[in-house]
Amino acid sequence: MNSVRFFRGNALRWLACAALLPLASMLTGCGRDDIQVYRIAKDSAQPAQTAALPAGWETAPSGEMRVASFKVKGAAGKMAEVSVIPLAAAPAHDLDNVNRWRGQVSMPPLTEADLAKTAQPVQVAGETGQLYEQAGPNSGSGDQERILVAILHHDDRDWFFKISGDDEVVRSQKDAFLSYLRSFSLPSGNSESGSFTRADAPFAHPPINNAASKVPSTPAPGSDGSKPDWTVPANWKETAPGEFLVAKFLIAGAGQAQAAVNVGASSGNGGGLLMNVNRWRGQLGLSPASQAELGKLATAIDMPTGKANLVELAGTDAKTGQEARMIAVMVPQPAQTWSYKLMGTPALVEANKDAFLKFVQGVKYR
Amino acid sequence: MKTPSAAPPSSPENQGSRGLRDPRKPKLAAPKSSGAADAGSRNEPFDRVIGFFSSLRLTVVLLGLGMVLIFAGTLAQVNLGLYKAQNEFFRSFLIYWGPKGASWKLPVFPGGYLVGTLLLINLVTAHYQRFTFSRKKAGIWLTHVGIILLIVGQLLTDMLSRESSMHLREGEAKNYSEAQQEAELVLIDVTDRDTDKVVAIPQSLLKPGKEIAHRELPFKIRVKEFYPNAHVTNRKADAAGPIPATQGIGPRAEVRELPRVTEMDKRDVPASVVEIVTPAGSLGTWLASEFIEAPQTFAVNNHTYEVSLRPRRFYVPYSLQLLKFQHDLYAGTDTPKNFSSRVVLDRPDTREHREVLIYMNTPLRYAGKTYYQASYDEDDHGTILQVVRNPGWLTPYLSCVLVAAGLIVQFMSHLLGFAAKRRVD
Repeated sequence: MNSVRFFRGNALRWLACAALLPLASMLTGCGRDDIQVYRIAKDSAQPAQTAALPAGWETAPSGEMRVASFKVKGAAGKMAEVSVIPLAAAPAHDLDNVNRWRGQVSMPPLTEADLAKTAQPVQVAGETGQLYEQAGPNSGSGDQERILVAILHHDDRDWFFKISGDDEVVRSQKDAFLSYLRSFSLPSGNSESGSFTRADAPFAHPPINNAASKVPSTPAPGSDGSKPDWTVPANWKETAPGEFLVAKFLIAGAGQAQAAVNVGASSGNGGGLLMNVNRWRGQLGLSPASQAELGKLATAIDMPTGKANLVELAGTDAKTGQEARMIAVMVPQPAQTWSYKLMGTPALVEANKDAFLKFVQGVKYR
Repeated sequence: MKTPSAAPPSSPENQGSRGLRDPRKPKLAAPKSSGAADAGSRNEPFDRVIGFFSSLRLTVVLLGLGMVLIFAGTLAQVNLGLYKAQNEFFRSFLIYWGPKGASWKLPVFPGGYLVGTLLLINLVTAHYQRFTFSRKKAGIWLTHVGIILLIVGQLLTDMLSRESSMHLREGEAKNYSEAQQEAELVLIDVTDRDTDKVVAIPQSLLKPGKEIAHRELPFKIRVKEFYPNAHVTNRKADAAGPIPATQGIGPRAEVRELPRVTEMDKRDVPASVVEIVTPAGSLGTWLASEFIEAPQTFAVNNHTYEVSLRPRRFYVPYSLQLLKFQHDLYAGTDTPKNFSSRVVLDRPDTREHREVLIYMNTPLRYAGKTYYQASYDEDDHGTILQVVRNPGWLTPYLSCVLVAAGLIVQFMSHLLGFAAKRRVD
C-alpha cells in the first residue's frame, strides 16, 4: 500500500522524466556532433607503418608525393634517405626514371634492351618487383653515392622504393632495405569490394576505394603533350616532372650547389598572385605577405604577349633547411596562368637568373 | 495499450476497481467524457492536459500517423535512399517540404521522433490514468511495461547505437572502425615524432560560412564550401572556371558536385573547402576530399598540420589483425557456403592476445561492440567487418519476454476464472 502511494505521489515526476529524457537526449544529440581531440600513434593505416622498420631508420616528414620517408645516419655525418612513392601507373617510363637516377651518379644512360638486363627481381609486399642499383660520383658534388630503387607495378599504381645517399651507408643498409620491402604491406585501396547478397550482408562496403579515380592518378597538366615550345639552356637537365608540373629542370653547380626550375600551369588566374607568392614564401620559411605588401614584392616584366609578374625571394628552404633563393614568374595567358620557378643555392640561382628569364620570355605558347 | 473491451475509466465498474487510489489525492481522471464532472477541480487545466495525452483518440490518431509515416518513408527511399529517408522521415520531429530550389521549407507532417514520443507519453499517461495494480490486472501491467520498454529501448538504440565498418587486408591491423555515411574534417598536428594529435570535426558542423574554433587549434577554420557528394579530379590545363582552393592541390584540382547517392551499396563522398585563419591573417584555402591521397600540410607556430576529409573514425584501445579470410564454396558450385575471418585481438593494456574466428552469424562480441562478418574483397584477401555498438541490444528481448508473459498471465487468469465459473455453474 505504501509503495503504491509512493508511486502515486511521484507519478508526475516519473511522467515528466519519461517524457523529458528522450527529448533531452535528442536535443543534445548524445555528443555526436562534438569536436573530438585525441592523440594517437602515427597513423597505423599508412602502408609504411605496416612494414617492419629496420633498426636505425628514423621517420622523416613525408612530402606531398611520399607515403613514407626515413633517414639513416652513417658514420661521420653521412646519410642516406629512404622514400616510398606511389604514382599512377606508367611502366613505359621505367627507362626514363632509371636513366635519371644513373645520371645523378654520373652513369651512362641505358637502352631499352639494357634495362631488362640491369633489373634484378626483388620481393616487395609478396609480389615481384625490379631492383635497380646505381653507384658513382654525384653529378653535382662528386661525392661517391649509391641509389637503390625497387619498382613495383601493382594494379594501377607504380610503387617506387628508393634508398639513396652516401655509398657506404646505402651499401650497409641494403639488406635492411630488402627486408623492409619484403615486410611492406600495400594499402588495400585498390581492391574493389564484392558483397554478399543483401540478406547476408546488410552493410555492403562502398566501392569507392578505387585508387584509379583518385587525384594523383590522372595526368598532370601538360603531360599529354601540351608543352609549349621553348629553348632550354644547355646546362639545364630535364627530369621527370612532379605530379602537378608540366616540366622540371635540374641545374647542378659547383660543389653541392644545386637549383631546380619548375614549370606549372593552372587554369584561370592560377589562384592569383598573392596566393602563389605566399605559397612560395612558405617554401622559404617566410611569413605570408599582405595584399598591400604584394606591390613591393612583385615586379612587372615584359613578355612577347604582354606583362608578367616577377618575384624574387630569399630565405631558408623549408625542406632542406639550407639557405635558398627563388626567382618566380607568373605569366598570364588567355585561358591559364603559367608559373616558372627557379629555386636553389643563392649563388647558383643568381648565376642562372638571366638564362632563366630568357627562357621564360622565349616560351611560345600554343 | 488499452484493450478495446476495457470499460471507460469513468464508468462505475472501473471506478470500483480503483480501490488503491489515495482518497486524499485530487482525482486526476480526466478523459473528455468526465471533464464536466471535474470542472470544479483546482487541477482542471492539468487534468485536461492529462486527459488529452491519455485519450484513446490520440492513440488512434498517432497509430494512423505512424502508418502513413511508414508508408511514405518507405516510398521515399526510392528517391532519397535508405539513410536520407531514415533521417528525414523517422529520425526527425517534423518532416519539411519546400518547392525545388527554394531556400525555405515548411513542416508538413510529424516525424518519427514526434510520433514515437507522443505515443510513449500517451501510453504512460493512459496507464497512469486508467490502471491500478491488482492481481487481476497483473498481465496487462506486464504487457504495458514490455511495450514501454520496447519504445524506450528503441529510442535509446537510435540515440546510442553506432554502426561502422572495419576493412582489413590480410596481415593488416587496425584499432579503429569507420563510419560509412559520415565524414570528418581532421586537422592533425604531425609535429611530434611518435604521435599525432588529431582534432576531428564531424561533417554536421561543416556548414558553408561557419567559423570553427577550438582551444587545441591556434587558428580558426572557416568553411567556404561543403559538397555532400563530389568527385575531385586533376584540373585540366584548359579548364575554365575558378580554382576550388588556393593551397595544397587546390589550384590543380577540379571539383564536380554529384547528386546524393541512393543505392545501398554506394555512398556519398563529400568534399569541402576550408580556409585556415590565423591571428596574423588567412593562410589560404584548402580542398579536402577522400579523393585526395597526398597529405596537404601547412605550418602554424612551428607546428605542422595536415588537413583532410575522411570517413569518421572510432578508435578503440585494442586492435584486430586479419590473419586469413576464408571464402568457402559448395563443392563444384559457385554458391557460397561460408565466409570467415580469422583475426588476432590484441589489447596492450590488458595483455590480451588471442585468435578469434568471425563467421556468418557468429560475431565477435568484445568491449561493448559486436564485429559481424559483413563483406569481403573481390580477391578474397580482405574482409569487411560490420562493427555495431548498441548498449540497448537486450531491450527488445526483454520487451518480448515481458509482453509474452503479460499476455499469458492475462489470458490464463481469464481462462482459469472462466473455467472455475463454469465448474460452479
